[in-house]
Amino acid sequence: MKKRTETILKVLNVFAWIAFIALMVKSGAVLFAYSYTIAQPNSAKDFYEHQNLYPLMQYNFWQYTTSIILRAAIPAIQSYTAFLIIKVLSRIKLSNPFTMEVANILEKISYFILAAWIVAVIYNSHASWLINEIPGLQLPKESGDSIFLAGVVFVIAQIFKKGVEIQNENELTV
Amino acid sequence: MPIIVNLDVMMARRKMSLNELSEKVDITLANLSILKTGKAKAIRFSTLEAICNALDCQPGDLLEFSKE
Repeated sequence: MKKRTETILKVLNVFAWIAFIALMVKSGAVLFAYSYTIAQPNSAKDFYEHQNLYPLMQYNFWQYTTSIILRAAIPAIQSYTAFLIIKVLSRIKLSNPFTMEVANILEKISYFILAAWIVAVIYNSHASWLINEIPGLQLPKESGDSIFLAGVVFVIAQIFKKGVEIQNENELTV
Repeated sequence: MPIIVNLDVMMARRKMSLNELSEKVDITLANLSILKTGKAKAIRFSTLEAICNALDCQPGDLLEFSKE
């Protein structure tokens, strides 16, 4: 049983690394494409993932910048969350899994998932407004259902904290 | 903590070392040390019984309540 759990945790660690790198690359690619469009405004016609953001850039540069920053922030926050997951998976020991450090990281993960959701909601509202303002503009929408996940992780973190308290009490029972 | 463990006092009265008590009550030195230094969060009745038996005392001799 322990061997199986160890294997699962190792596989999850690999997945977390893949997610961390992929999300970092995504965020970096959006920011790189943005900085390229500052030097070459025409390149906004074929932005990251073949989107034509030139009309938005022409409409208002600051709206364009806000939209890009929000769009880059979501994968950046998600990649940090993946990094925290890597941290949890590397710190957790099956012989003594309940530690306050792991519980605190789990709680932090739930806050960052919530932060990613808030940024996604702001981005989606901003994108909807821009689509209404600029005819023909197409902006991708971000998934906004991670609030449920944030709640679940937060609950798990609280249960984990209780587990840490019980384990400490158990260890200090003579 | 308002509960004070007077294990060291009773051990001194009975002139018993921690090693000796550990052997008599069959509790590890580490656990007895936790109890002696007041770090313990709880004590089992079986442990209390064994210590009282070994030191020939009452639970009240080992534990004391103080309002701080």
